[in-house]
Amino acid sequence: MSSQPPSRSRRDFIRHSLATVPALGLFGGAMIAPGRVSAAARQAYAPRYFNADEWAFVQAAVDRLIPADDTGPGALELGVAEFIDRQMDDAYGRGELWYMQGPFVPDAPATLGYQLRFTPRELYRAGIKAVEQWCRQQHNKGFAALAPEVRDQVLQQLEHGSISLEGVPAAAFFGQLLQNTKEGYFADPMYGGNRDMGSWKMIGFPGARADFADWIEQPGKVYPFGPVSIRGDKA
Amino acid sequence: MKRMKPVDAVIVGFGWTGAMMGLELAEAGLEVLALERGDYRDTSPDFSYPQIADELAYGIRGKLFQPLARETVTIRHAVNETAVPYRQYGSFLLGNNVGGAGTHWNGQHYRPSPEDLELHTHITQRYGAKFMPADMQIQDYGLSYDELEPFLEKFEYVCGTSGRAGNLGGQVQIGGNPFEGPRQHEYPNPPVADTYGAKLFADAARAVGFHPFPQPSSNASRPYTNPYGVRLGPCNLCGYCERFGCFMYSKASPQTTILPVLMRKPNFALRTNSHVLKVNLDSTGKRATGVTYVDAQGQQVEQPAELVIVAAFQMHNVRLLLLSGIGKPYDPASGSGVIGRNYAYQMMSGISVFFDKDVAINPFIAAGSGGTEIVDDFNSDHFDHGPHGFVGGGYIFGGQTGGRPIQQLMVPPGTPAWGAKWKQAARDSYLHTATVGTHGSVMAYRDRYLDLDPTYKDAFGQPLLRITFDWHDNEYKMTRFLSDRAQQIVDQMKPRQSSLTIRQPGDHYDIRQYQTTHTTGGVITGADPATSALNRYLQSWDVPNVFVTGASAFPQNIGYNPTGLIGGLTYWAAKAIRENYLKNPGPLVQA
Amino acid sequence: MNASTHSARRRRWPTVIATIVIVLIVLVILAWLGSKLVRAGGDPQAAAPAAATPALIAQGAYVAKLGDCAACHTAPGGKPFAGGLAIASPVGTIYSTNITPDRDTGIGAYSYGEFERAVRRGVDRHGHTLYPAMPYPSYAKVSDADLTALYAYFMHGVQPVRQANHAEGIPWPLSMRWPLAYWRGLFAPRVAASVPAPGDDPLARGAYLVEGLGHCGACHTPRAVTLQEKALSDHDSSLYLSGGVNDHWVAPSLRGDAASGLGGMSEAGLATLLGTGRTDRSAIFGGMTDVVAHSTQYMSEADLKAVARYLKSLAPHRQETAVKYDPATHQALFAGKVAATGAQLYVDNCATCHRTDGQGYAQVFPTLAGNPVVNGDDPASLIHLVLAGGTMPGAQAAPTQFTMPPFDQRLSDREIADVLSFVRTSWGNRAAAVSAAQVRKLRGAVPAGRAGMTDYDPRKR
Repeated sequence: MSSQPPSRSRRDFIRHSLATVPALGLFGGAMIAPGRVSAAARQAYAPRYFNADEWAFVQAAVDRLIPADDTGPGALELGVAEFIDRQMDDAYGRGELWYMQGPFVPDAPATLGYQLRFTPRELYRAGIKAVEQWCRQQHNKGFAALAPEVRDQVLQQLEHGSISLEGVPAAAFFGQLLQNTKEGYFADPMYGGNRDMGSWKMIGFPGARADFADWIEQPGKVYPFGPVSIRGDKA
Repeated sequence: MKRMKPVDAVIVGFGWTGAMMGLELAEAGLEVLALERGDYRDTSPDFSYPQIADELAYGIRGKLFQPLARETVTIRHAVNETAVPYRQYGSFLLGNNVGGAGTHWNGQHYRPSPEDLELHTHITQRYGAKFMPADMQIQDYGLSYDELEPFLEKFEYVCGTSGRAGNLGGQVQIGGNPFEGPRQHEYPNPPVADTYGAKLFADAARAVGFHPFPQPSSNASRPYTNPYGVRLGPCNLCGYCERFGCFMYSKASPQTTILPVLMRKPNFALRTNSHVLKVNLDSTGKRATGVTYVDAQGQQVEQPAELVIVAAFQMHNVRLLLLSGIGKPYDPASGSGVIGRNYAYQMMSGISVFFDKDVAINPFIAAGSGGTEIVDDFNSDHFDHGPHGFVGGGYIFGGQTGGRPIQQLMVPPGTPAWGAKWKQAARDSYLHTATVGTHGSVMAYRDRYLDLDPTYKDAFGQPLLRITFDWHDNEYKMTRFLSDRAQQIVDQMKPRQSSLTIRQPGDHYDIRQYQTTHTTGGVITGADPATSALNRYLQSWDVPNVFVTGASAFPQNIGYNPTGLIGGLTYWAAKAIRENYLKNPGPLVQA
Repeated sequence: MNASTHSARRRRWPTVIATIVIVLIVLVILAWLGSKLVRAGGDPQAAAPAAATPALIAQGAYVAKLGDCAACHTAPGGKPFAGGLAIASPVGTIYSTNITPDRDTGIGAYSYGEFERAVRRGVDRHGHTLYPAMPYPSYAKVSDADLTALYAYFMHGVQPVRQANHAEGIPWPLSMRWPLAYWRGLFAPRVAASVPAPGDDPLARGAYLVEGLGHCGACHTPRAVTLQEKALSDHDSSLYLSGGVNDHWVAPSLRGDAASGLGGMSEAGLATLLGTGRTDRSAIFGGMTDVVAHSTQYMSEADLKAVARYLKSLAPHRQETAVKYDPATHQALFAGKVAATGAQLYVDNCATCHRTDGQGYAQVFPTLAGNPVVNGDDPASLIHLVLAGGTMPGAQAAPTQFTMPPFDQRLSDREIADVLSFVRTSWGNRAAAVSAAQVRKLRGAVPAGRAGMTDYDPRKR
């Protein structure tokens, strides 16, 4: 991918495709995963943790949290859904990085941090189920089938905790989703997101370069090199 | 229980102070054993490029941190509340493995101001005892800056600290910190070159009449050989410093300054994956006989030793003493007891400084501490506190520690947290945003302390440490005072926009956001066994063959990063052990 | 298989058996003759010329360091001098032997004369010729005085370890030892009845250490197809120490070759390199790492100086002009100009440590500009280092073991070729381009890259 934003026509394709996400979800959804032209050869990604409905939700959600537009690539095309799924299948997703001994005091002051009994993967499972249920009640459709503007509204309501979900604090679920979306958007591509270092190119972060000895001697100068990844991809 | 061959000295925890003590005691000829509950870690292979340049693994998931799943702490804001566990990393980052937090610190390497060590006396003399609120419980260290100076210097020379002296033997030096205590010698290395953000900050600070200087940094500015003969590499401002290990051998850590010599000593041994459960006492309770630990196979092992150095992280030191029954636990109701007393933290504020697109801040060109400029005019008692009504202070910094986008990307105030507008702001701000911040002290209070949690346990079934902590008015005043002056500098930088994050009166301590890992107190030094756990040589008043190193010794927190003082105190104590204690084991100070 | 070939094969059997019998008879005769004709010399009954005083034992310990006995006879993580180190040879795996004074499994039963024969003449107590992995053609020059001290040390200064020697991993017929006697007869130098010490003249002392105990030629002198070093001293020819290849490392010329040898290095720099494993410009890597770790770091200042002086006295083998620094590469890279092939790869992967000026960081990361290893004909060491990385030896005077990570996972054959070609033609360097085929050949041959560990890393054992 060049540093130019992807063409309008492909973005339209993505948008149209997303309207059919629920159906595609049955096929793993990777059919709609876009990428650079050469990425036609990219293997279709089959989610390891999420079931078809969840996978459709995650894709439809990350696509709104960081949408594709002229500013730069969106989360969906950078593989953020794949990233999140892979994280769920990791020590992190299984909650192995967190202290998960009870008793749990979910109504402790928010300033004392996360106190739910859910591991990340459990939080997704419960959260998605509850949001889907809520969307079907309110809109007679699953989340992924909603128009982009409506999905944005739902996400805003989750963010502000203004809808109450069955068994899951909406804001906690949203916070987790947004955090993981940004992680997948900006993390090294080897984790499945940030394909072709698309987000790094957009903001001007040189990635895993980790050497600026020459550039500390040239303060204020525009840095000329594009990013490299840990595995040595460059742009 | 398996019983090991007795050693002369056993060291609990193999981070900074464990490594310092290890080498000092091994050089004194003792048979020394260090027990580390984590794994072995070294620059290579563990911090090698390019694997280390991984924000997700190290910066976000915390690959080098203590696994909270096995052990954490619990936190509450007040004595009458129920504490809940610190389940995910936020406010502070506990170290683990060989090198401890000394592998993933930034390298800010400060000395305390002389008055910081005699704070109670100093404040009383200058402002009167009434200047301190009734519940403020600040104390003197029981030793002076002049006594400590050679040891502060020794640690700087071990680390290859890069900076510019501001006071050489009483003579104020241009370009250094004019407020610092006198030092006998210049820093071992010149400062790391300023980042662009730091340059803009320093120019502005000078323009408003403050006294900026390059931050003293244990990110070596050039290749350097320390007094042990260990050579460090140069900092190349890679932007992967705090939370990461240093692949350039530049950031001072036990690995880059001490281990190449210590690990080759025939009379030193290290056992990793060895989690100490308690310090064992004899029937009198006045003498330690060694420690009990759980080894890699999960077996309990008894390790006899003549001398026990408790050298784990501040919180773990406090917990281990409580679990071992060394010293009387602190009771906030009566204000009596010593273990857990005077827990303190630090109070930070930050200003994101957004410039137009023609200003290339390049936030990724950054070191953990090098290349940053500091204003110390408002730290310690560098100014007259009389009109301001608070004790303490802090420094103001301008610079950058990295441009790692998951954690460090900033967007202007009013930007939504997601969506197209967030993305646009992220793109437009990233290269053009500088950071200014303040780093302030927190005093000790009667109701801020540490004890054992009644409910939550670690993986070995031992109670977790419980933190009772929240902000006091003194600190809200301090951070406002400091932040106002930081804002003055920022305004002088003439940015397009800036945004201050500050803790306002009434805001509770929020453990979700990273603030600082500078937690202090709980096993404090002092001159009086009724109000301190350790004498001036970090020796337990109650069990004289136990010494406790680390920030747990601080009677209250300073406005500086603690590592320089921790190192100085450790070398000071090591000398006392080598020259006095070993000749005549027993209390070095009569109670 | 069909019936006719089957019967044909059967018919050939008597001929085959007869041939084998004849060959065996010839072999036995040759073996017997070998033991008679190729005499070991020396006197196995000879007693030690001096009593093992503490001073003599200490001197012997130093001689053992100079001879780098531990390099082969101490296995990593094993007891000192108990042997067991696997040594790959062209004919199979050889295992070093136990040379502790244990009477049954070590050399505790060796008389001084037997010890002398083993060290200087390559014949063990039972009359078997040693594999020339034992550098007895070089040790032939060890003085009587040093040998006496060495014997005292191995008999009285080393802890006896009961550890049986490992059976050699060499298949028959190559495992037969008698042909080694002929090899010895043909290629090992004669040892005089008495070998005097070289005296204090640094040049003579240096020659003694380099040609004898130091056995530098074992790696740094090219070998013939019959595996003997083509020269055992400078008197033989300028091939001596003109560079060799060992274990996919190029052991560079130690002669005064201006670009690819020691022509550009000072005597003091050379002494520092051997004593600490690094200088402001160079770093020890590859096979030399162990030599510094086990041997040269322990050399006295005087001996280091002597070795350096002698090596600096060796005339060039190749007629080369010195490499002169050219700032153009640095100027371009510093300005962000990376159009040259391999330049971007260099900035992305190498410049962090070796810098865009190719100068590295003093005593931390070596200089590439003007480095003789970079400017040698054979790029094998460079390819090897890029693929597998390397760790500097730790020395008493310089304990930090700076480590280069492996790049085999990050860079393709083509990329490694391009970046090395860039390095070999930048900052004034002028060596031939590296091809992807050269990289491919080594990629399979050198151990897969895993970032190195220090010698004291407890995970290493």
